[in-house]
Amino acid sequence: MAATNQRERNSGETGYNWPFFVGEGWFKLLLVISLGVVVGVVLFVWYIQHSNDASPDSIAGYTYAIIGTLFLLLAAVLYSLKRRSHKQKTVGQLHRSLNWHICFGVLGLVFLFLHSFGNFNLRTGTYALYGMIALALSGMIGRFLDRLVPRLITGEVHKALTVMGDDRIETISQKLQAIVVHNTQDLHSFAVAPAEKSQNASTSLVSLSGPVSSDFSFIHKDQALQTPWDLAYISLEATPQELSLEANHYRFIPDKKSELARPGALMPGAQEHISELQEVEQAMQRELFYRYVIRYWRKFHIALALLTLALTLWHLIYAGQLLLPVLLHR
Amino acid sequence: MLKTGFKPGANNVVMLHKTVPQVAQELHACIGCNECLLACPAVTGSITIDVLNRETLSGPISVPVARFARACYQCGACVAPCPVGLHRDAMMMWLKVRMLRSGWGE
Repeated sequence: MAATNQRERNSGETGYNWPFFVGEGWFKLLLVISLGVVVGVVLFVWYIQHSNDASPDSIAGYTYAIIGTLFLLLAAVLYSLKRRSHKQKTVGQLHRSLNWHICFGVLGLVFLFLHSFGNFNLRTGTYALYGMIALALSGMIGRFLDRLVPRLITGEVHKALTVMGDDRIETISQKLQAIVVHNTQDLHSFAVAPAEKSQNASTSLVSLSGPVSSDFSFIHKDQALQTPWDLAYISLEATPQELSLEANHYRFIPDKKSELARPGALMPGAQEHISELQEVEQAMQRELFYRYVIRYWRKFHIALALLTLALTLWHLIYAGQLLLPVLLHR
Repeated sequence: MLKTGFKPGANNVVMLHKTVPQVAQELHACIGCNECLLACPAVTGSITIDVLNRETLSGPISVPVARFARACYQCGACVAPCPVGLHRDAMMMWLKVRMLRSGWGE
């Protein structure tokens, strides 16, 4: 009983079931993010209650702006550098960096949102915030896709491989070829078999040129007969009339209403294999599409990050133009 | 793997995954340098390349290897650093297929 339970548990652990969205390290990640958000929100509430200047250009506003920007910069720079670093890494280090990337990204967004103090009048800042929200959302969706899409790819690959792990298209093609060969042989049975043909040929030749040369001992078994020039116009192939007389079955064309007029009726099994082949091809096309989803979503996330950076710089320049004269005239 | 000459939208399907003989050949060619695991953003640790290689093709799959296979999102980060030009993502795909067939699957 215990062994069965253990086996079932292991089957769940080592299978590729659907509830796989919660990976390792997610609990710690959520804990750190929640802690950061709680600290930020508590300070925000405390500041609003104890100060009259609740605006983006207040001390608290600047603090949130600086912390938020720092978090976003850390999110962008640390992970990118770690990925490209040639320093001695340890197994799992990049995964931890990715978790920190997510953590800093979400915290940066929250702190910059708090920096706005609900004031969305400034166009540059609002656009920058929208960019950050889009960036964080694309990251979250990307992580979801990272979990979901590989599972879908696996399903498609499962369809494209045989139980033994061979290429299913090749296997089906071989079966199809075997069917075609089989059917072709059936059709050839209407024609004269090679041995029969040579026998016919020698018979025809004997019957035609009997009195001229009746001794054929000098001809080797595999040697082709040299046809005299005056007999060249006589074909040694059996004529269709001869065939229809000799064959014990004949080829017919079924009428349109007949079951035999159905495509593939004269080639049993071929249609099933062809549709199976089409299914596998579709599975491979879907596999390709899913791979493109993973690859291009990452590029989209990077493009959004660059756009957000540009919008943030625009906002900083704009805010700097407003702030610098005030600071210089103090 | 990704064959060249593919035009998106065209009706030519390319083989993205690998068959078992191809995976076996790649596993045999693996020199065990660990570069693929070091470059992997999905692996969380406690896995060695020899264990992964041993369990990829056949036999029982241990829980850490299964967790890693589930976490692998086929980003291909493991392919570039391989000094012998192997495709760890394709090997992982076969491992995933095995898990799909053995587990709760479809």
